[in-house]
Amino acid sequence: MTMVSRLWCQKTWQNLALAKVLGKEPKTFSTLVQLKTDEAIDDNDSQAQTNDELIKSPSLGNYRLVYPEFLPDPNPLFRNGIREKLERMDMLNRRSVLSIPEFYVGSILAVTYSDPHAVGKINKFVGICILREGCGLRSSFLLRNVVNGEGVEVHYDLYDPAIQKIDCLRLEKRLDDELLYLRDAPLEYSTFPFDMEIEAKISESIPVNDIKIPLNPLPWSQRWERYNLKGVKEIVVNERRQKKAAALAKPWEKYDLMKTYRETIPEEEQNEIFSDVYTKLNELEIQKNILKRKYMLQRQKSSKTRTL
Amino acid sequence: MTSILKTFNGYQLFSKHLKQSLDMIAVPVRGRQNPPPRKRHPEWLPKPTHVRYNEDLTPENKEFLSEVASLNKGLHEMPKSPLNTELIQPAKWTQGSKRTGLIGKKIGVYPLWLKNGKKVLTTLIQIIDNEVVKYIPPEKFNPVKHSKHLHPKIKNGCLVLGAVNIDPQLITKEYYGIFNSAGVTPKKTLMRFTVTPNAALQSGTPLCAAHFKPGEFIDIRGKTIDRGFQGVMKRWGFKGMPASHGVTKTHRRPGNIGSGGKKARVMPGTKLPGHMGNRWRILKGVKILRINTKYNVIWVLAQNVPGEVNTMCYLYDTILPTKKNTSPHFPTYPPNDINALPEELYTDDVHPFTEPNIEYQSEQES
Repeated sequence: MTMVSRLWCQKTWQNLALAKVLGKEPKTFSTLVQLKTDEAIDDNDSQAQTNDELIKSPSLGNYRLVYPEFLPDPNPLFRNGIREKLERMDMLNRRSVLSIPEFYVGSILAVTYSDPHAVGKINKFVGICILREGCGLRSSFLLRNVVNGEGVEVHYDLYDPAIQKIDCLRLEKRLDDELLYLRDAPLEYSTFPFDMEIEAKISESIPVNDIKIPLNPLPWSQRWERYNLKGVKEIVVNERRQKKAAALAKPWEKYDLMKTYRETIPEEEQNEIFSDVYTKLNELEIQKNILKRKYMLQRQKSSKTRTL
Repeated sequence: MTSILKTFNGYQLFSKHLKQSLDMIAVPVRGRQNPPPRKRHPEWLPKPTHVRYNEDLTPENKEFLSEVASLNKGLHEMPKSPLNTELIQPAKWTQGSKRTGLIGKKIGVYPLWLKNGKKVLTTLIQIIDNEVVKYIPPEKFNPVKHSKHLHPKIKNGCLVLGAVNIDPQLITKEYYGIFNSAGVTPKKTLMRFTVTPNAALQSGTPLCAAHFKPGEFIDIRGKTIDRGFQGVMKRWGFKGMPASHGVTKTHRRPGNIGSGGKKARVMPGTKLPGHMGNRWRILKGVKILRINTKYNVIWVLAQNVPGEVNTMCYLYDTILPTKKNTSPHFPTYPPNDINALPEELYTDDVHPFTEPNIEYQSEQES
């Protein structure tokens, strides 16, 4: 068993190394054929939308979803006002150098990263964000894609100064907070082309992709039947495991007020924190929107010339 | 007379009949026979409550006093040191001289990135309202624990530092007396730092984070996290014993503790279960990476500074011979020049977040 796992680890590591060796020019490694009709529709929509798209920044009430890492760890053992303030200042300083887009678990990101071991000292990875964790400068996200028929995951720190660029190619949410079950799903569901282009924002609210994914047959990396997943088709396990999962389920936890109190920052404190960073974030947001609009206009022009 | 005696006898007889006819046998208690009496507050007395002395202040006076107490917020609020600056002469550091340390508060841990792209965890230590309360010259300084050297070459004096201002209305008159004589706002914590006579400072001198420079090495003393009574696996990192394969009742136990033959005893210093943590420990040779002069915060290259977050720790110049500092601010950074410093001070290898992204040069270009 250990030998098998070791071999598997080696294989994945080799593939990870492969991913790191990717040159400056992004190549397509995907096997899944993208539906071109959808993209075409999107493009048409974007032409109509870009003109109407307002320079709208997220409101203060929305900030806890857009910038979750600005909220500190709610554990009172680790809290200190001055430290949180300094950390926020550092985060804003980094954000003023690198524009970090709004993204969620389920969004597709492209990260350009300077890597001393890469061929051109620079690397690009495209993948679906399957995990977003940590707060403050420790916050990080996990991208997953398929390279040469093997699942590859790359873990990035959000405030790492070695990151050159972060693009949100497709802004959407999924039904779950973590998509780690993609590891045990068919590879086609975590395959995204490396030459994907930024999709235009269609609606004001963030679209939720309610795709239901089937899982591979057993064995799995985790006991998914215990997690109450919404984005998975149907989980088939034997009776014993079903019983165990039912025994371990805690359906009353959502009514536990003290638990939510312990695990979240109260609204008054959130307002205090976000009003502290509001002006700076708003400025950055406006700059980002201007850049985005310019990019979309350029794309429109280029597409027109192509059609002509 | 006889009649009187008789009546007395009668009484005794009567009392004998009333008594229970049981023979009490005293059984000797083994072990500790007379446990020391525990200190217990008498039930009939009211419980002592620490009530402050009623000073019969009018509400206006109370408001005025709390206003005065809240005004004294700390160092970075103070525009200029009230001291006679001529008394603080920037002396020259010489071999063997020892300057004061600082009292800090551990406020958290977060990562910084170096210029080579490496992520390092740093601990933030805030220096809050540090001021000199008292200087005790070498002749008068007589510590309980003497130096291990019988005849030290230089006899050290001692500086008493205080940190974290508190409301003077909350403390006792005796404690207030310490600060009143020095002309310093009352402090929450006091700490003693031995210094050579050439590093003496007058009482009232404010000390700030710029006392140290980025790149210097320091020792940090703090009280470790109290973990209570712990077993041998957590306290000493023993491996324990297997979870299965026929092992019963000894999964986290120490196993054999030695002894045998004629020794027939447990050797002193044997690692056994016991109380873990809540001890003074010194983390030596820690590098300072960054200093914020506005908030008086020091970033230190360590994630293992003893103590919990929000506890006090004490910073000293390191005693490690290879990392010793030869050109410090001596005896301290001049308190009137604080505004001349930039807000953020970094070492050369730290990447400030305001700087552009890290890019690596390819070998051909370089």
